[in-house]
Amino acid sequence: MGGSALAGGRITAVIVDDHAAIAAGVRYWCEQARPTIELIDARARMANVWTGPGAGADVVIFDLELVPKNPAFGELRRLADYGRRVVVYSQHSDSPTVLKCVNLGALAYLTKTEGPEHLVPAIRAAAAGRPYTAPSLGGALAGDDDPGRPRISHREAEVLRAWFAASSKELVAARLRISVKTVDTHIERVRIKYANVGRAARTKSDLVTRALHDGLITLDELGAAPDPVS
Amino acid sequence: MSDQHRAVIERTTRAQLMARLRIGILAAGTGGLLLLSLPNMLRDWERYESAWAQACAFAMLAAVLCVEAVLVFRGRLAPVRWQWAAIGTVVTASVLSYAALPYGHAATAGDWIFGQANWVGLAPLVGRPLPVPLAFLALHWGIALTSMLLNTAADRATVLRFATGSIGVIGYPLCMAVTAAAFRGIARSAAAAKWQTEQVAVVEAAAVESHQRRRQRFADLDLSMVPLLEGLATGRLDPTDRGVQHDCAIEAARMRRLFAEVDVVPNRLLHELRHCADVADRKGVLVELDTRGQWPELPPPVRRDLTEAPLTVLATAASWARVTVVGGPDLVCVNVLADCGPVDLPRPVTPQVRLDTFRSEEQLWVEVRWQADASPR
Repeated sequence: MGGSALAGGRITAVIVDDHAAIAAGVRYWCEQARPTIELIDARARMANVWTGPGAGADVVIFDLELVPKNPAFGELRRLADYGRRVVVYSQHSDSPTVLKCVNLGALAYLTKTEGPEHLVPAIRAAAAGRPYTAPSLGGALAGDDDPGRPRISHREAEVLRAWFAASSKELVAARLRISVKTVDTHIERVRIKYANVGRAARTKSDLVTRALHDGLITLDELGAAPDPVS
Repeated sequence: MSDQHRAVIERTTRAQLMARLRIGILAAGTGGLLLLSLPNMLRDWERYESAWAQACAFAMLAAVLCVEAVLVFRGRLAPVRWQWAAIGTVVTASVLSYAALPYGHAATAGDWIFGQANWVGLAPLVGRPLPVPLAFLALHWGIALTSMLLNTAADRATVLRFATGSIGVIGYPLCMAVTAAAFRGIARSAAAAKWQTEQVAVVEAAAVESHQRRRQRFADLDLSMVPLLEGLATGRLDPTDRGVQHDCAIEAARMRRLFAEVDVVPNRLLHELRHCADVADRKGVLVELDTRGQWPELPPPVRRDLTEAPLTVLATAASWARVTVVGGPDLVCVNVLADCGPVDLPRPVTPQVRLDTFRSEEQLWVEVRWQADASPR
């Protein structure tokens, strides 16, 4: 999996969504993206994600609610455990659902009000095995008061809140007088911390291992030592 | 104002009204015990079958009077349980005293308990419905009668002595019991009157307070709204002027917030923000409102500070606005991003609230942040 993306080839993604219009819309965005993303429509059947052309896709775009009022957390867990890179694309925006998906190993969580400006970068990031944090997810992380949440620094919380408020990294960077890259680093560090306290899955170990290797975060920051702020 | 409170008022009113009557009966009982019963008992000391039984009965009556005295001087009504205990003690003392009376002594001066136990037993029963003291007096008289019939020859002289004695023994306490019963009715209506007075006072105080609150709210509007309305009425302000339109939109949003402030809803801040957003929505501005996290109930001045700047931005937005709220136990951040021209944002009044603005070309980004500990960041 992910071979084509790593080799610099075209990214392939498979979408599982019971709304034909969503699949068609995402297909259009993928075709318009430069470079283009190849989209396979699983036609709302999980079997098409595991077998056939969908099995080899770099990224799974996953509608959490294939069956109304019954979020498919189990399917998400199986995908993450198998090492599939999942972008959840859902109409739910409530924090518990969002945070649970992140905890289960989804690399991105987007609400359906978030369009191609977030979905396309999310697919690209996921294809490279990196997390993507859309504004709605940033807000959920900033407002998380679960006792088991990781400690995030004052600056990281500030960046998350600003990202949620502005939906534009350029604006966040300009307001906080930092570079867009620094904004990204802060957000990604939070995601690594969350991945580290999340349940063990292949995506988690990949994420954390690479973040440590890249020097994005240190073992101390991941460990028990909490930040002295917020 | 609960039923419990009402019961307390009734109890204290009754205790106050009954106090003097109870003191009177207590004095009669105590005086009789020390000035009549004690000398009579001591005079016949040698003739009693068991003088110690008489002393014991005397002590029991004295004990009942003592407890009753404590209750009266503490301004408390006799609790029902104590009343039963007191009557039990008085009746036991009577039976004990009569049992130790030598043959032929009933209804003589040595029969001190006949004229004494009635007053002692009556004292704790003041305030009970009339049948209760009547039943006690009847029981007391019955015990004395039984003793007289069993323990004397019941000759004409004895029966006459008993009959004349009974007039005083039953008659005077009966007068007191009837008076006390009348007092009981008076006490009840006094308590009801007092309760009503208190109710009226509470309603009045609430009315004064809400009037003051209303005046305060109107005063808040007075500063900005009245000049605007006057300007429009006199023609000094032009309704087609954009600035005037903005001012009107801001005042409309303030009024909407004012109306929303009195609503009882789970999350007041969000409720008030929704009302502010609605004003922009009605103007055709596309408003997104997104919230994350949970925060405690904030006091009205803090909520006003948190909504004032967003309200102004929303009311002057040209086509779109994004409002986000992120909260936690000690931090609430309200952010508004909108395409609006220059606006004059009022500074927060409460020290825990901070306002930050950032402008990038046509976009205005305002953050209002409440921090529980008020430490400047």
